[in-house]
Amino acid sequence: MRKARLDKSRRLVDTIYRTLFQQVPFNVAVIDRDHNVVNANDNFTKRFGDWRGKKCYNVYKKLNQPCDECPSAKVFEDGNVVVADDVGVDQNGKETHYVGHVAPIRMEEGGPVEYVLEMTRTVTGTKSWQQEYQILFDRVPCYITVIDREFRILRANEAFRQTFGDKQNQHCYEVYKRRKTKCPNCPAAKTFKDGLVHHSQQVGTKKGGEKAHYVLSTSPLARGDKEVIHVIEISTDITETKKLEKEVVDAERLAAVGQTVAGLAHSIKNMLMGLEGGMYITKKALVRDDKEMLSQGWDMLERNFDKTTSLVKDFLSFSKGRLPELVMVNPNSLVNEIIGLYQDIAKSIGVILVADLDPKIKDVPLDPKGIHTCLTNLVSNAIDACQMSDKKDCHVCIKTKDTKNTLTFTVVDEGCGIDYDIKSRIFTTFFTTKGGKGTGLGLLTTRKIVQEHGGKITVVSKKDEDTKFTMAFPKKRLQTLFKKDSAE
Amino acid sequence: MRKKILIIDDEHDVMTYLVAVLDSNNYVSYSADSVKDGFLILEEVKPDLICLDIMMPKESGISMYIRLKNDPTYKDIPVIIISGVKQENEFDFRSYVPDKTIPAPDCFMEKPIDVEEYIRTIGKLISSATPSKKRGNK
Repeated sequence: MRKARLDKSRRLVDTIYRTLFQQVPFNVAVIDRDHNVVNANDNFTKRFGDWRGKKCYNVYKKLNQPCDECPSAKVFEDGNVVVADDVGVDQNGKETHYVGHVAPIRMEEGGPVEYVLEMTRTVTGTKSWQQEYQILFDRVPCYITVIDREFRILRANEAFRQTFGDKQNQHCYEVYKRRKTKCPNCPAAKTFKDGLVHHSQQVGTKKGGEKAHYVLSTSPLARGDKEVIHVIEISTDITETKKLEKEVVDAERLAAVGQTVAGLAHSIKNMLMGLEGGMYITKKALVRDDKEMLSQGWDMLERNFDKTTSLVKDFLSFSKGRLPELVMVNPNSLVNEIIGLYQDIAKSIGVILVADLDPKIKDVPLDPKGIHTCLTNLVSNAIDACQMSDKKDCHVCIKTKDTKNTLTFTVVDEGCGIDYDIKSRIFTTFFTTKGGKGTGLGLLTTRKIVQEHGGKITVVSKKDEDTKFTMAFPKKRLQTLFKKDSAE
Repeated sequence: MRKKILIIDDEHDVMTYLVAVLDSNNYVSYSADSVKDGFLILEEVKPDLICLDIMMPKESGISMYIRLKNDPTYKDIPVIIISGVKQENEFDFRSYVPDKTIPAPDCFMEKPIDVEEYIRTIGKLISSATPSKKRGNK
């Protein structure tokens, strides 16, 4: 009766052992000292194929000799459990990654290790994801680094290492910028502080010493409200784009120089023709002793001399690369000056010049000389446009307007209007519709002065309709320029 | 009979110069500072040659040239274009007048002009304008 109970109990243990051996979610094999596979479960068989009468290296790796680093041999030697990952070949010949747990089997407690129990778990899927991630990390066409709160580089991808060198554990500012201290306005520092993504454009130094232009994005390596321990820096190299941009700017500059020289030559040729004409008539007058003709020739010489002087003056004023000298001034007083200057001339040719001034306007920082030049150019153009039109009692109005953010000067005329083709060219060098009367630099100079004030000039016009030139100055920008100017 | 020449240029000093040169060389000159006035003179005078500037306010010399060549009354009058624009590299007539039925100008002169060449060219163009080609003989 007792023996029967003992047998039943033993059978139960056997069954549990067999079930466990078969059902455990591992590939389980028992190996002896001679590398023979003495037992294995179904999972193992399914993964590595038939094992009976075979050596472990033959089954795991399809090799004919023991592996160089055999974990079982180590367990047989020191009796300790070994955990290791390895790569084998499954029964279909496919590479298979697994993590193995190798434990000693002793037939008696304290006795020698007679077998080892190898429990392996296939991790091929995880490995493949890891590899893909690593390839993506390394090959993505941008520089990636992971930095800690000390700004030390913990990880860097291949593109970064190739460009900036293998600089693990160094400070990012040392590597990217060759600085000894943290960069001012560091975007990574902002991310550490607020946990948000920050973007900026940077210039660094490559390992060969060349400049690298890149767009940097920093994002936290943490989710939710957790403290940011690591920041990932992703930079896209825009050095080539910058180079191309520079080439385009250089080409445009060269084209502009060419256009300027051609325009200058055209204006000078007309003046030369006038001077030659003056000389021709003066010479004829001297031969004929004709005083009236002499005076005509002399006038021509004087006029063309003046034109040359004014062209040179305009050209120098246009080419002068100076910053506006800002002082607090009332815009209305500048307009009143221009009205005083042009009112009589306008009246004499039947043009009515008026001002429409904003009474609430306050003093603002402007360069009075510059704005005077702009208004002079716009008003003289407006009067000319009225002269070119057949309309009677043509009005020219200068308006000022002070809004919360912007100060505007507007010059409106009821003259001949500007057609589309001309409108597209009025801000280009030496473009004039006034023949010999204009130098073709007035509006270009005006636009330059307006831009130097941080403003914008626009034109609204149609042929035979009113023309409206507006100079708009953002007040914030004027204040910034004024503060900068005062500080200097 | 003295030949008549019409000058159209918005620049008065250029006009005065050309008129003086033509007067000294026994031509009768007429001048206008715009295309509009040029056509008014044309209707009355019927010149033997026209000297035309390109860049003028309101209507350009090119526009006047096209109108002249499209008008049977004026199409045979020789035209000299006188401009500050250099013909080589800078002024391509066909880019402004792609219509090939309109012939290129008889002569193109760059400012400032060479007076002798100017007078020589005028003489040559007027004498080569055959009677059959002259205006009015359609």
